[in-house]
Amino acid sequence: MSQLGKIADSVDAYNAHVIAEVARARTDSKFAADLRARWAKIHETVDWTVSPTGTPLPRLALPQTDDPGVIAEYLFGQGLPGGFPYANAAYREMYLNRLTGTGEEPMRLFAGLGLAEDTNARFHYLGTHQKSLRLSTAFDGPTLYGLDSDHEGVLGKVGEGGVAIDTVEDMTRLFAGFDLTRKDASVSMTMNAPAPMILAMFIAAAKRRFGPGCAPNLRGTIQADMLKEVQAQNEVIFPIDASLRFLCDMIEWCVPNMPRWYPVSISGYHIAEAGATPVQQAAFTLSNGFTYTGLLKARGADVNKFGPRLSFFLDCGLDVEYLVLGRVCRRIWAIGMKEVFGAGPKAQILKLHTQTSGRSLIAAEFQNNLTRTAVELMLSYMNYTNSCHSNSADEPFTTPTERYATLASHGQSIIMEESGVFKHMMNMFGGAPGLLILEKQVEKAILEVFREMDTLGGVLPAQEQRYQRSKIQEAGHNYEKQIYAGARPIIGLNKYKSDEPMPSVPLARTSPIKQRLQVERLLAFKKKNAKKAPTALHKLENVARSGGNVFSELVHTVEVCSLGQITACLTNVVGKFRPMV
Amino acid sequence: MSAAKTTRPTVPLRILTAVPVCDGHDSAVTTINIELARHGIEVIYLGYHQAASAIVRAAIQEDVNVVGLSSYNGGHIVFFKEVVDQLTKLGSGDIPVFGGGGGTITKADERVMKRQGTDCIYFAGTSLDTMVAEIKRNYGLVAKPRARFKGDRALARAITIAETESLEARRPRRAGSAGEVARAPKKKPFVVGVAGPGGAGKSTLIDELTSRFLRNNSAGRIALLANDPSHPDTGGAILGDRVSAIYSQDDRVFFRSLATRGSLTGLSAAAPAAIDILKNSGEFDLILVESVGVGQESDPFRILGKGPPLVDATLFVLAPYYGGRIQLQKIALLAGADLVALNKCDHPMAHTARAEIQARLDQNSKNQKLHATTAAKHFDLGVDALFAAIARRGHLPVSAGGEKACSTADPL
Repeated sequence: MSQLGKIADSVDAYNAHVIAEVARARTDSKFAADLRARWAKIHETVDWTVSPTGTPLPRLALPQTDDPGVIAEYLFGQGLPGGFPYANAAYREMYLNRLTGTGEEPMRLFAGLGLAEDTNARFHYLGTHQKSLRLSTAFDGPTLYGLDSDHEGVLGKVGEGGVAIDTVEDMTRLFAGFDLTRKDASVSMTMNAPAPMILAMFIAAAKRRFGPGCAPNLRGTIQADMLKEVQAQNEVIFPIDASLRFLCDMIEWCVPNMPRWYPVSISGYHIAEAGATPVQQAAFTLSNGFTYTGLLKARGADVNKFGPRLSFFLDCGLDVEYLVLGRVCRRIWAIGMKEVFGAGPKAQILKLHTQTSGRSLIAAEFQNNLTRTAVELMLSYMNYTNSCHSNSADEPFTTPTERYATLASHGQSIIMEESGVFKHMMNMFGGAPGLLILEKQVEKAILEVFREMDTLGGVLPAQEQRYQRSKIQEAGHNYEKQIYAGARPIIGLNKYKSDEPMPSVPLARTSPIKQRLQVERLLAFKKKNAKKAPTALHKLENVARSGGNVFSELVHTVEVCSLGQITACLTNVVGKFRPMV
Repeated sequence: MSAAKTTRPTVPLRILTAVPVCDGHDSAVTTINIELARHGIEVIYLGYHQAASAIVRAAIQEDVNVVGLSSYNGGHIVFFKEVVDQLTKLGSGDIPVFGGGGGTITKADERVMKRQGTDCIYFAGTSLDTMVAEIKRNYGLVAKPRARFKGDRALARAITIAETESLEARRPRRAGSAGEVARAPKKKPFVVGVAGPGGAGKSTLIDELTSRFLRNNSAGRIALLANDPSHPDTGGAILGDRVSAIYSQDDRVFFRSLATRGSLTGLSAAAPAAIDILKNSGEFDLILVESVGVGQESDPFRILGKGPPLVDATLFVLAPYYGGRIQLQKIALLAGADLVALNKCDHPMAHTARAEIQARLDQNSKNQKLHATTAAKHFDLGVDALFAAIARRGHLPVSAGGEKACSTADPL
């Protein structure tokens, strides 16, 4: 049995344990009395607050009961917010402190367009009203594939759909004017196959500005989730084993050297965007996370050290399962980490970033996308996501323009700051009958997928047999068929269509002049470092060939080498990824 | 047999689909591929993150009716123009290019792209049925011989004509009259047939052998003929071998996908003619012909019968999970294959399989050597040894000893 089978069994065993505890609470009077006493104590810790219209409210909503069976079901089955198995939330107060002025907003501002200075300007524009500094970066195609902007045939893609980064100098420009060592600063980078090179550039750029000892102060996330790339998003450069090795090298380096950094964001977003159902999204994402945990443990890393540095990223769409997806994922993760990997509390908590669904947005009557995103935001926050990004309504046809990026960001503020839903009480919805039913069904379905992959030998053998890819493609195909057949109503597309012509929207496109400027900068960098680069690449190659930690060398290599030079060097050592249909 | 109607069989439309460079969005194109194949179209799928030059090379070698590009990452105006311009430059401007990109390609972009030679853009909301019907109507012309075609396109067109003729004749044919590339053979190529059950890793192994050929021959060319089954009901096919053929994206490789179009021999009925066309062109040093996944009795290259075989040598590839010793006795090709490769040797069953297959080959007393390969592993020494064995048989150059990584690897 692979670890996946054991994890599925451990969740079932835990559920049986909860049922047994509930029964014991109803039959064992001493246990019942203990539970009541514990429950009373919990109630005592709950502070009260008053709504702006004068209604007194507890800061934590608990089931109104003193039935020991119900108490046991709640405490063991769901857990208090911040308590095992974490169905209700990762932390006790989540949004409450953030919204009373002492903490950070859960929203991130996503940007990536043109050259580094263009994205930098967008960051400054979007950050005007933010208390904390929470930036999120999208990169252009050549950067995502580890290619330099002067690579043959990619010029038209430079700065399109994200920012072009070739060198440490571009990285310096990207975050100019921001104090990245601030306690409340956090930078997220949507970067995968070349994540080790790009994070190395980020560190090198920070060192240039904030001194050589700044790495421990840098806070943020880099996506770096190669399994979902192979399964769904297709941005893979190196063969799978080499990709996983470079990732693990990076994580192992980051855990002691960048304690505030999340070196991997285990992502279901792209799996869902590529077509997966919510259940498949959760099952593949969690199983990928467990795979990384197994790989790191096999390399001798301590689960209680690296476990707390793993983070997750899910898509939130409009399907009903999204009401509970984050809740169910936190629960399965906590149980699996505890029971199968022996993780302590900090390594049991699934920390979740959510993004509203890009696939749910359409070009026809695109202003409806504002409503779609608003509903998805509500669902995300109902799952007590740790952070969230809301898509811009104009995304179906362009990199978000300033106007719609602002509306998307304000949408979050309206839900979180204007409306009272999340401001006063934690755990507003946990334990609702509909949620409980959904949680049970979704969890069951996820465990079924786990067991199917287990029969194939686990995540990696299943992947080799293209199990995840086939499932995702099949689900994507079904989704399209449902739209065409009208079984899945999409307002403005297959239902309530109006003849309203598409309004013209100013497009964010990168001009050929800028694209050439990027190439000129790159060439200047290469010329400047022409003498030093070959030595640095040779050292990197030696480390890669000898099985050393590639990341610890990359932080030096990026000082004098471009992204494309490094990719070519590593490709020579490990070969190229062979794509799957 | 009842009197057959004399209707001409429909010649399937051949389309090349791909996603542009630095773009991994393949969910739309995979859905469209399925729909096209379901409607009787032969889809040659090149994959995502494809350079314009790779798309153009594939379009020419496959002699497709049309190229369809699915672009989601922007940069489409430049990219589509590059594809159209390169096709024109290489004398294949007759191959139309169309595309789509959900909402990322605007109406204004469409006007520019059409002016620059793109034939048509599909926008979000177009139903798949509409798209398929239009593609069939607009691009369904049956290929005719074209004297002006040169180089690979001439070869490719000759093979297309052979495909059409063999479909109409409903029987295999050797090189015939129409569309022949008449040229004095400059060199005589070595032709190897590659057969084996589905899932043994033939395509990957062929691609790895291709990389060995390219490294060991600084100037020569290799041709690959990949046979894949047509759907028995719809007549369509998804010919996806190019997706994972990472080393075959090279001008020194001529890669042609052939759908079987109802032939049950393991090869397209046009394969014999296609082999002759490639041989007679004098272009190639090595030709590898891949059969569809074969069963126990299959003999796609006619090595067991009395007549002349289609190939100079046969390589039989199998994976360790063939179902046990007794199954090996039933595979006819194991008796006749010149070379046998046990692929996927990283599989736990490989050790046992190796001994069992060697024992089976020893029964033949034909001095057949078993090669243990793991084609999915890069720089596999077993593949090196297999290539060396092929090269020795075909009198092709091969460097002694282990391989070095190609120092000029293009990560694209």
